[in-house]
Amino acid sequence: MPWDESHDGGGPRPAWRGLLRHLEQLGAADLRSRWDRGRRLLRESGPAEAGGDGRPWRLDPLPFVVPPDEWERLERGVIQRAAALDALLGDCYGPQRLLRDGLIPPAAVLANPQYLRPCRGWMPACQQRLTLYACELVRGTDGSWQVVADLAQAPPGLGLAVEHRVVISRLLPEAFRELRVQRLAPFFARLRQALAAQAPRHKDNPRIVLLTPGSASASYAEQAYLARYLGYTLAQGDDLTVRDDRVFLKTLGGLHPVDVVLRRVADDWCDPLELRNDSLLGVLGLAAAARSGHVAMANSLGSGLAESPLWLGLLPAAMRHLLGEEPKLTAQPTRWRVEPGPGQMLRPAFSYRERPLAEGEAGWDAALADRRIRPHAWVVQDPLDPSVAPCWDEAGILRRPQVLRLFALRGEHGWEVMPGGLTRGSGDAAWLEVAGTSKDAWILSRGPVADVSLLPSDGAAVELRRGGIDIPSRVADGLFWLGRYAERLEDGARLFRSALVRLADEPGGARGAVAPYLEMLARVGMPIEDDGSPPERQLSVAIGLLAPAATGLARNAGAVRDRLSADTWRAIGAIERTMAAERGDASDPAAAVERLDRLVMACAALAGMGQENTTRGPGWRFLDLGRRIERASHSLDLLLAAADHRFERSALEALLAVADSSITYRARYLATLQAHAAVDLLLTDDTNPRSVGFQTEIIAAHLAHLPHEQERALPTPAERVATRLLAAIRLADPAVLLAPGADQEPVQELLTQLADDMTALADALSTAYLIHVAPSRSLARGSL
Amino acid sequence: MRYRVRHVTTYRYSDQVAVSHNLAHLAPRDEGRCRRLAWSLVVQPMPHSHRRETDAYGNQVDRFTVTDPHRTLTVSAESTIEIQPRGFLSTATPWETVVDGAPLGCEEFRYESPLVPRHPDLAAYALLDFTPGRSVLDSALGLCGRIHGEFAYDPAATTIHTPVMSVFHDRRGVCQDFAQLMLGALRSLHLPARYVSGYLETLPPPGSERLVGADASHAWVQLWCGDDLGWVDIDPTNDCIPDERHIPVAYGRDFGDVSPILGMVLGGGTADVAVSVDVQRL
Repeated sequence: MPWDESHDGGGPRPAWRGLLRHLEQLGAADLRSRWDRGRRLLRESGPAEAGGDGRPWRLDPLPFVVPPDEWERLERGVIQRAAALDALLGDCYGPQRLLRDGLIPPAAVLANPQYLRPCRGWMPACQQRLTLYACELVRGTDGSWQVVADLAQAPPGLGLAVEHRVVISRLLPEAFRELRVQRLAPFFARLRQALAAQAPRHKDNPRIVLLTPGSASASYAEQAYLARYLGYTLAQGDDLTVRDDRVFLKTLGGLHPVDVVLRRVADDWCDPLELRNDSLLGVLGLAAAARSGHVAMANSLGSGLAESPLWLGLLPAAMRHLLGEEPKLTAQPTRWRVEPGPGQMLRPAFSYRERPLAEGEAGWDAALADRRIRPHAWVVQDPLDPSVAPCWDEAGILRRPQVLRLFALRGEHGWEVMPGGLTRGSGDAAWLEVAGTSKDAWILSRGPVADVSLLPSDGAAVELRRGGIDIPSRVADGLFWLGRYAERLEDGARLFRSALVRLADEPGGARGAVAPYLEMLARVGMPIEDDGSPPERQLSVAIGLLAPAATGLARNAGAVRDRLSADTWRAIGAIERTMAAERGDASDPAAAVERLDRLVMACAALAGMGQENTTRGPGWRFLDLGRRIERASHSLDLLLAAADHRFERSALEALLAVADSSITYRARYLATLQAHAAVDLLLTDDTNPRSVGFQTEIIAAHLAHLPHEQERALPTPAERVATRLLAAIRLADPAVLLAPGADQEPVQELLTQLADDMTALADALSTAYLIHVAPSRSLARGSL
Repeated sequence: MRYRVRHVTTYRYSDQVAVSHNLAHLAPRDEGRCRRLAWSLVVQPMPHSHRRETDAYGNQVDRFTVTDPHRTLTVSAESTIEIQPRGFLSTATPWETVVDGAPLGCEEFRYESPLVPRHPDLAAYALLDFTPGRSVLDSALGLCGRIHGEFAYDPAATTIHTPVMSVFHDRRGVCQDFAQLMLGALRSLHLPARYVSGYLETLPPPGSERLVGADASHAWVQLWCGDDLGWVDIDPTNDCIPDERHIPVAYGRDFGDVSPILGMVLGGGTADVAVSVDVQRL
């Protein structure tokens, strides 16, 4: 029978009595309605909602209670363990006394893939390898706690713990107060102090970034939350660059030096140059920058070595040698290089992330075979039987196995343990890494607790701010391309729709009826081969050519997920659904027009969100610049296609229809369709939001607002191109260029020049602000 | 024997490179029978920063960053080396003795490494020569001869990313493949063995001129043969114990630890690499 956390044979345990009484008084219905509110709060609290729930585990509203005397024992044990692991790392990467004296087998370190050669013989300037440490504990059937995992490189879950606490303390405020639950905020205040103190320079105001693997990571939402809570910039590898062994954050305002990196990227992924060459998550040269001491890393590179499950068995011997102490916490019995007995499990010795295997499971025989040739790569453990605690479930209260995760920090005054934490539980008692639920851990205090919070309280006035020049270039790049792809998709959809509508007027028409449209499609990169079938069917099937634009839109939106509001994300979701919703006959023109209608509406909704719901910072400017440049290029392509048709009537009709300008034209000129008037509307008319002139005016205005190097005397290259564009458009006179009988060449030339300049403008912007950075590599190969 | 070695690597990129970070293992080791009398490294365009360090295995590493925008990067290393003859090697130490005990410094070369696996098939292959009680050196030379006899030298068959087990099954590859295959076989028996990158002087066919730049970088292995012999070089590509014509540059667990130039660039598009090595007897 597993240990029951909340009850013993005679009823509720003392520490749980208060909480259980509160829950009883509250009643199931009340708790349920409070919990619904709480879940809403959780959704609103982070960017997780944007892409579905990005959390690894579901929050359980019932807290996990730890009484004061038990806590004090755990606290002492965790502190000792953190200190021992720090010393262990110091020895393994330094003098290797443990190996020399034969206290640990050489393979524990030298065969360990977590042992990073570039860190050998190097000690961080702060003389500590661990700043944060997390310990996972399970209470066995006899009621004693044992360590089951050490998280030593980038302990995940701190953000989750804060987030849980914010929600649960509002869910159960009476119980939270009365039970004297210890607060978490002071721990985070000291975490900020500790990280700032490690800064090699700018100690009074260091720049600290949280290095994240990015939005594809399962715990991205939690990392974004933690960064915001601590007030650090959330940076991906691409946001940082190393020059002269110093780390910089690439922002629109230029390169800003980074003093401390709080990392959530695993050790070997941190630097593609010296560590894993295939890593796209890291920063080129980061390992050398860390070794040089110009940047502090928490935790230091190489600390993943301490996470190997084999230390669960070997640490006591190391601890006696390094600290001269006996372990205060026992660990899950873990034996290395022994045969598994009946009922015992085999577990990879070096990585705690891999699941232990039981006899008869898939992979067991392969593990036994591998063990014969790599005996050092496996450890033997008994299956766990963790304690159970009450959990909320739609069906009522259930008892589920729990693992307690505690966090420790080494600050100015040594190690301390966060008085709280989280537990995680699942139906799978043997392996709790799988998705399940998590709880807020309540550490009860003996005395009164003081109220502290790092979150701005409702009453306090926050400092008013504008702008945000610090946005990483990668984010601006993502927004720029998001704008371009959104516009490309919308313009393409309009083009297809106009062509299909035109064909509907002329049933059974030949391709010739839509020749200008086909020319336009070819111009914008969507040529349609004539396969002999009816043209409306060819066009309907060809809608699939919009897919790359939709994919580009989704990819860039994903890359800037934490910058997009929930509504924006929903609009993007609607576009994706419309693109995916190809039901029945793809060549049915009626269905295709209906689908294009929905697509255009969804794109318009996204565009509206960008205009009406986005603050006018540099981020918005890049989003809009992308859109404007794309639209201007698109309009120029349409004009060039019409020029190829010598601005004949059918071409002019197509031009006005696609550019959504037929009504304006008719209002101005009634039915007289003349080339120069149509071209004016799309090229030079700065009151038409679809004209090239209109886009160019806005682009020039945006450029004037972008961050610049101070005290520059001359316009930037992008501004020069924009000025040239503006002048060319303002000076162009369609009436002269397209006078009856006039030579077509000058207008062709003008349009081509404008199109080239628009491309040059996009390039100049990228060079000045974005520089898309795709790492590539090359190796020389020996041969003979 | 004295040599001058010129090793020139030229990268040509389709697009402009904004920043290029590089790690180079190009300086021949200066120890034992090998003396490095002169050495120079010239990089074009001129690096913004250049640091010389020693890696975890005692190899010299040149770490340089080029920040001038460029489409061509040239790295030229030139060294003057003197090598003493090795003398006769022999030992009676049975291979099992080496398995049972070796100094701590050898330990990390016993295990699998990123590019060299341990595998039961490799162990079985090695055991054909590592018969009970046989001398460690004789056994290793037997294995070396078998690899030389059974595997075809074929530069078209593999790339630097071809796994050892594919080489083992396809029975073809180049020096780097044979070295790593032999390492896998030795380590599968728990013997300490390491990867050596270096150069080999090639002799022209009788009657023809020596071609400048036609040489190449080479790779072989070193096996720990017990305290009396220490590390012994073995070249499975040429089925020999390297002597005066092999010039060691760096050693590590596998190619990944000692790759002559590891470069990472921002920008650049596609890259074209040309390597020219010239080993000239002085």
